[in-house]
Amino acid sequence: MKFRLPPWIRPRAAIALLVACVVLAIGPLLHEDVYVHNLLTLTFIGIAAALAWNWLGGYLGQVSFGHAAMFGIGGFVSARAELSVGAPMVLAWFIGGIVAGAFALVWGHPTLRLRGPYFSIATIGVGEATRLVCTYWDSFTGGSSGLSLPVHGDLKHTLYWYGLVLAALALAASYALRRSPVGLSLLAIKSDVEAASDVGVSSTRLQDLVLFLSGSTIGVCGGFYASYFSYIEPGDMFGFDRSISWVLMGVIGGIGTIAGPALGAIIFVLLRQYLIASYPQLYLGLYGLLLVLVILFEPLGLTGLFLRIVHRARPDLMVSGPVEEPLSATATPVAETREAK
Amino acid sequence: MRTPNLVCGLCALALGACKQPSTDQPKQPAQGGSAPASAPVASEIVIGATLPLTGAESRIGGFYKEGYELAFEQATQNGGISVGGKKVPVRLVLLDDTSAQATAASLADRLINSDKVNFLLGTYATNLVEAQSVVAEQNNIPYVNGGGAATAIYKRGYKWVFGLLAPVELLAESIMKWVDTEQQAGKLPKPASIALLWENTSHGKDFRKGVSEFADKTKNYNVAVDESFELNGKDFSALLGKVKAARADLFLADAHLPDYITMQRQYVTSGLCNKLVSYGARGSEKQAAEALGKKNVEYVLSAVWWSALLADKNPEAKKFVDAFKAKFAGRVPEWYQALGFETVRALFTAVEQAGSTDRKAVREKLAALKMPSLLPGGELTFPAEFGQQSHAPFVVQQNQPDGSAPIIAPPDSATGKGVAPNPNCK
Amino acid sequence: MERFADLLIAAVLLAGLYATMAYGLGLIYGVLRIVNLNHGGMIMAGAYAGWYVHETLGLDPYLSLLPVAAVSFFAGILVYRLLVRRLPRGAAGGVQSLLLLFGVWLIVRNAAYLLFSGNDQTLRTSYATRAVAVGPALVSVNRIAVFAVAIAILVILHLLLTRTYVGKAIRAVAQNPDSCTLVGISVERIYALTFGLGTALAAAAGLLGASLFPFNPTFGASELLKSFVVVVLGGLGSVAGTAIAALILALVEVFAIVVIPAYLTAAVGFVLLVLVLVVRPGGLFGQRVLG
Repeated sequence: MKFRLPPWIRPRAAIALLVACVVLAIGPLLHEDVYVHNLLTLTFIGIAAALAWNWLGGYLGQVSFGHAAMFGIGGFVSARAELSVGAPMVLAWFIGGIVAGAFALVWGHPTLRLRGPYFSIATIGVGEATRLVCTYWDSFTGGSSGLSLPVHGDLKHTLYWYGLVLAALALAASYALRRSPVGLSLLAIKSDVEAASDVGVSSTRLQDLVLFLSGSTIGVCGGFYASYFSYIEPGDMFGFDRSISWVLMGVIGGIGTIAGPALGAIIFVLLRQYLIASYPQLYLGLYGLLLVLVILFEPLGLTGLFLRIVHRARPDLMVSGPVEEPLSATATPVAETREAK
Repeated sequence: MRTPNLVCGLCALALGACKQPSTDQPKQPAQGGSAPASAPVASEIVIGATLPLTGAESRIGGFYKEGYELAFEQATQNGGISVGGKKVPVRLVLLDDTSAQATAASLADRLINSDKVNFLLGTYATNLVEAQSVVAEQNNIPYVNGGGAATAIYKRGYKWVFGLLAPVELLAESIMKWVDTEQQAGKLPKPASIALLWENTSHGKDFRKGVSEFADKTKNYNVAVDESFELNGKDFSALLGKVKAARADLFLADAHLPDYITMQRQYVTSGLCNKLVSYGARGSEKQAAEALGKKNVEYVLSAVWWSALLADKNPEAKKFVDAFKAKFAGRVPEWYQALGFETVRALFTAVEQAGSTDRKAVREKLAALKMPSLLPGGELTFPAEFGQQSHAPFVVQQNQPDGSAPIIAPPDSATGKGVAPNPNCK
Repeated sequence: MERFADLLIAAVLLAGLYATMAYGLGLIYGVLRIVNLNHGGMIMAGAYAGWYVHETLGLDPYLSLLPVAAVSFFAGILVYRLLVRRLPRGAAGGVQSLLLLFGVWLIVRNAAYLLFSGNDQTLRTSYATRAVAVGPALVSVNRIAVFAVAIAILVILHLLLTRTYVGKAIRAVAQNPDSCTLVGISVERIYALTFGLGTALAAAAGLLGASLFPFNPTFGASELLKSFVVVVLGGLGSVAGTAIAALILALVEVFAIVVIPAYLTAAVGFVLLVLVLVVRPGGLFGQRVLG
């Protein structure tokens, strides 16, 4: 029985991912630094979340400023499942993810008809409305008191490997979503919705798929977060700042690229840790500046920068794969869309 | 092609981070465990803490910092604290958690595992304390805080967390008790209707619980309006309109300082005038009097964890107020600085009593602590029945027309008499 | 009945503020087709400017309105010339402009943190707690003043857009930028002017807001969203549309307390935003404006 990889998977990519996972998995056995260990755990979650955001924001071109809504829902459903029903941790995350994904569909399905900036503005509304309603909903989220999960001795330490798996899965899914035929369809939708449907790409179904995947993955991250901190509270989980952080990770890392947001997440977490000690409030402004620079000069963010350097150093190297168009081509003129309806 | 490079980049970064040398620390005794009394004492005691020095609660974070620093300064002037007969210097490692929960927890992690502190002091704001206390409990390190009042923090059966702030339910109860005595004396109608507005935060929820439970218990009050509002809400006119329509006798609200100022301003301009007004722990702040005008804060009741007026009758309070005034050019401390100061003092006392820096020994001393204190009631304990949360009484104050805010309850701390109903409201 | 009057008056006065806030956003979008996410940042900047001038120079906020607006006008032109101009023109700039201006907003927010700390600030004027009777209700003097100023601004704006050459040029560019160049209108200059004007309006609205409410560097976020509700509801191009939409939003927000708990009335604006966008992106008046 011959095992054949689908043609769109490059063996080199799969091997690289595998090697990275193995290295990171055995890493903790070689050092005793608990702080770095925990920092990496948080980074893994950041990576998974940023990648999930990117499926909607980068692949589909619909930038969401309200993803914290799914994060919070996933987190609280997960915590509730553990507290009220006694569900085991991973199952609770799964449940949280499913509910979060479903929630994403509820508001996202009708809203995805909006293109470009309209969708983004609507997502801010969704995020804030969810925050307010969930803060009020005492029996679900514990209101402003939040929910406290029992502390299990060594859980925080072992969450590292769960996080690693989560990040690896998200990376693999990112790769698959982009390079598979599904990815090509997404690219078509992103460029021109009408033309895409003309060639038979069912945009609504695909958009719903991406919406659900993105929402549920972020929901699982929320569940993970709850298990990691053992205490969650609506103001923190649903906060606008949290939604912003994924936008920043995605765009600065490289929106629409496969692993760019992961890079963005790593830098975000690291910078934050280092800046926090000396310049606590500065990092937000720094990120604003980076965002401005990225939009003006390098739409593919750090990934784009990296690619340029590689190209400069080795012009003979063929960088294959779907070519990324800058964001400018993504938004169809809204007036034209409306007239076409 | 890009992907493997990036992924390899990821691992390189991760491994690079792993290879960071841990910070050089003086020799520390082992975590937890029962070390014998003759275990070597460290050459320096490092105490870690985070405070909201920037962000939404930065003003109060700064106040707590003053309290912490005063206590550390005093200890340093004495050559340190005495541990098993020897004077050991103490050092504070203070980080800024920017009022963000995840940051507070992560920094606690860093203080424990990277900076290798001996003990932890708490931060300010219930949700931050709740998040940080988890880290402390997971790492078996004593966590003494004067910034988290919600009973939820102490109901989790944690052994390593100690709280100096009495619960906000008790705050509400203190106000209601004084109101009750006035009602018994015939100064307020019986039954009295209450308009209860509370900020939708842990603090506000607990305040509301305290008031409702008291009302249920004594049956002489009915809560006519029971509404929450958003923290940093801007427009309370619709809400206050509802209060006006209810024509309640008592107006009880719980709010942070900015909301207190906003709401009271809109309260006054809408022509509301209830027989009794309280904003929970807010009321006598100078800032409010300046922002609203002395006339508009008259007769506002408040209950706080501590007041500088306690210095008249409480020797520990007097010592603190004098020391504070000496350091800060005559400025009078508020309860934030006092609680910060006392938190550190409680930890120091426990270490001295334990005679070692062994965490388990110090924890046991904290649990059994009975310290003469600047708090109302004169003593600080961490009763096990309340999850190691102090239940020291509150002082109730009322703003008087002459600008003072005497303590009107409890009787043993009182420096003046309260007035009810509000003579300005007929 | 008394309560009804109270709420109605509160809503009408609030509507004035909302209309002023919305117009700046609508103007920039109508002409440049750019969603100015820095609108929130400029509202906050206006609030701080008014407060700062009052704290240091003792100047009454309503007097400092013009200078603050003027400075913001030039700040807006600067932002346009330095940053926005580099973006591809037209709707194609959609998400990019959004993110760019969002980045600017973050920078402005951070600047406020650094300069003024994250604490809440209030504009304390001597007449802050004075109230007058309007019909059966007691209304704060501040609110009436804000309403009066808001009406004045809208009238001036309407006159500007209909009676002056610049105003007509702006409207022409909004309709068809390409033919404008044919007629000799410098489109780029109009874009810069409009951006400056929109920024000035935002700052003015922020200053007015500061005289009513406390604020901190996060001020402006929910105001931005409410502005968007108004702009989408009312469409562009007519002062009347914006005013009516602002009134509708204010009425819904204020009267919501009768049916839902006070805490949730804060969510009303957001829910309305999503509903309006999904159900009627063309606006209540069906104008071709926002499309």
